[in-house]
Amino acid sequence: MCSAANDESTLNYARHISYWRRNLKTFLPSIYQGNDSNRMTFGFFILTALDVLGDLHSALPPEERQGHIEWVYTCQLPEGCFRASPGTDFGSHRNADNAKWDPGHMPATFFALLLLVLLKDDLGRVKRREILIWLNKMQRPDGSFGEKLFEGSVEGGNDTRFGYMAAGIRWLLRGTVEGPVDGVPDIDVDKFVKCVRISETYDGGISEEPFQEAHAGFACCAISALQLLDRLPLQPTSALAQDDKIRGIPNLPLLLKWLVSRQTLTLEEEDNTDTLGDEIDSSATCHDSHSFIKLGSYPSVGGRQSFDTQPTSHFELSWVGLNGRCNKIADTCYAYWACAPLHILGRLDLVDKKPVRRWLLDKTQHIVGGFGKMPGDPPDVYHSCLGLMVLAIFGETGLKDVDAGLCMSNSAKSHLESLPWRREILGLGPVQSDVAQVFDHLAVSGG
Amino acid sequence: MAPGIFYHDDPAWSDVEPIPQEDGEHPLAAIAYTDEYSEAMSYLRAVMAQNEYSERGLELTEHIINMNPAHYTVWLYRSKTLEEIGADLHAEIKWLNPTALKHLKNYQIWHHRQIIVNKLDSSEGEADFIATMLEQDNKNYHVWSYRQWLVKRFGLFSKPEELQWVEGMIEEDVRNNSAWNHRWFIVMGGRDGKELPEAILKRELDYAKYAIRKAPQNQSPWNYLRGIVRYAKLPLSVLKAFTLEFADLARPDEVFSSHALDTLADIYAEENSQKEEAKKALDLLATKYDPIRANYWNYRKKLLDQPEAVS
Repeated sequence: MCSAANDESTLNYARHISYWRRNLKTFLPSIYQGNDSNRMTFGFFILTALDVLGDLHSALPPEERQGHIEWVYTCQLPEGCFRASPGTDFGSHRNADNAKWDPGHMPATFFALLLLVLLKDDLGRVKRREILIWLNKMQRPDGSFGEKLFEGSVEGGNDTRFGYMAAGIRWLLRGTVEGPVDGVPDIDVDKFVKCVRISETYDGGISEEPFQEAHAGFACCAISALQLLDRLPLQPTSALAQDDKIRGIPNLPLLLKWLVSRQTLTLEEEDNTDTLGDEIDSSATCHDSHSFIKLGSYPSVGGRQSFDTQPTSHFELSWVGLNGRCNKIADTCYAYWACAPLHILGRLDLVDKKPVRRWLLDKTQHIVGGFGKMPGDPPDVYHSCLGLMVLAIFGETGLKDVDAGLCMSNSAKSHLESLPWRREILGLGPVQSDVAQVFDHLAVSGG
Repeated sequence: MAPGIFYHDDPAWSDVEPIPQEDGEHPLAAIAYTDEYSEAMSYLRAVMAQNEYSERGLELTEHIINMNPAHYTVWLYRSKTLEEIGADLHAEIKWLNPTALKHLKNYQIWHHRQIIVNKLDSSEGEADFIATMLEQDNKNYHVWSYRQWLVKRFGLFSKPEELQWVEGMIEEDVRNNSAWNHRWFIVMGGRDGKELPEAILKRELDYAKYAIRKAPQNQSPWNYLRGIVRYAKLPLSVLKAFTLEFADLARPDEVFSSHALDTLADIYAEENSQKEEAKKALDLLATKYDPIRANYWNYRKKLLDQPEAVS
């Protein structure tokens, strides 16, 4: 799709692979210490990035792969769910009285399951039934989900991030089947969808909770969750437009507008100052690259005169970044948070991919591999993974095809979908043993 | 604890057997922990495993939080300890202030603050601290969320001071979308979808228009203005005369705001006979005034030709 032949900007595969292999094989530097409680998530970023680069298989000899599978399982709790790192593990000292300090964690459980899928485990040792029981306890009466349970109460924000992960866990363990599975009741999908609907903001975005500011991260989590729950809004033209399910997003056209509005020319702090002396917008400055300027007051004579000689709005479209909120600066991760929901909604065509791709490759791609948050920033696993994922969503040659909502290759996803226990829940027959491998092969060579 | 002093040398901790971390042979995302962090975490596991609630435990959580504020049970443990030992909650707020200033992007700090302020049952001093935080970053999401919680918890919706405060924030930076959003919350939050009184409707429309005149190419007040019109179920055409101040198809070289052009396109689209005018406005956006979103404006043009694409 993005032809490298017509474009100078290139993805430096070798550097990205070496960056990710370093993250896989050696210790993350101590600057990551503040993310000790996100280790399961970061482990996922590392493995999914290598997988999308087509390098996971060669990077991991079988005994290391098996070793990582064992590590993930050591983070599984007797209650089924997972802890985020061995940091909360009391080992032989764990008992009923102190287990509350080592609770199951929503992000850790979601990413542990995805990690097992990436590592080609059959999830045979996952306490699936226990996790589904736990998932029910993690839903609040208002329909939202939390991060963890503490002394019977659901703790953590009640925004769509945890709802997305809960929807993801449900999808991983029982697909889109509604109603009880294996004697365990379903989560209250309708109530959760209502919760998503009321977090729509007056400008069409989605916020942390009703009346908070629209934010691309929450919008992405909401749309991904609705997809995993099979509750995306139906297109008005669809024959199914009148089904009886409660579906997400009251105002889809406004959400699309809000999402495309995340494209910005404000790529660096300095971009804010290009009209600083002008005091007011004019035909010449009618673009968004000065969106943080604090205006004095009304136009001065000098301000007016400064426009007279300027041609009207010609500006470079070489690079277009994405921000997460109105009037904020571009940031690599928001390319994912804004483009993934557009892709899931089938409307990624509303974004011109070329200048976004150029921004990622020319501005935030780092010489050592990976991506930084902003131009010149060192790479970190979070921005590096999401930047790469955007290029994969755009169809970058040489990267695997991905499922945007799961942030994972379709070949990895097909491994999950081939597992007999899951096919049985979904009422599907056994899969031919070679199908998954063929799919894997196609995904790598097809790009 | 003083720098360089380790728990294993400290007589106050001599009775505690630390629990080391077991990472196995093939960990994922293993971090090169500093010795200081590794040791402190081993002692934290030990006191948590004993359900020890003590002053020294409190100091230990402080130490951990400064190195890893995102630890998801250390905050719960701290809050339980405060409760169990009957600690002075005012002192806790005093400690939280510099901690929040040090870790600007952390969520847990604000949740913890909510728990403490809720127990104190008073919002005294909170506005000042929020102001200090917003001086560091006037769009800090956690701080604005916390401000909303304060308004709800202490019923500040109808207090004129709250509206005056947020108006001051917008005066300082008319492009601060967080401040605009807070204004919406103050005006609409306590209303439960009920109709907006005429006087308030007029005040809000006037205020958004005043801000747009200051900086027409600023999406925040345009979104606000159109949000108010939608909430009040008014036709968009009530904004026509105002919008023409900034974008008039008769003067296509003198457009002062892409958001005005976009609004104009919607106004024309609402009037069925004016679809060609709407297309002209969308064309100007796609080719001249907002080409980074050309694909979107062209899509909007196509929608105009579709019979009643219900939105």
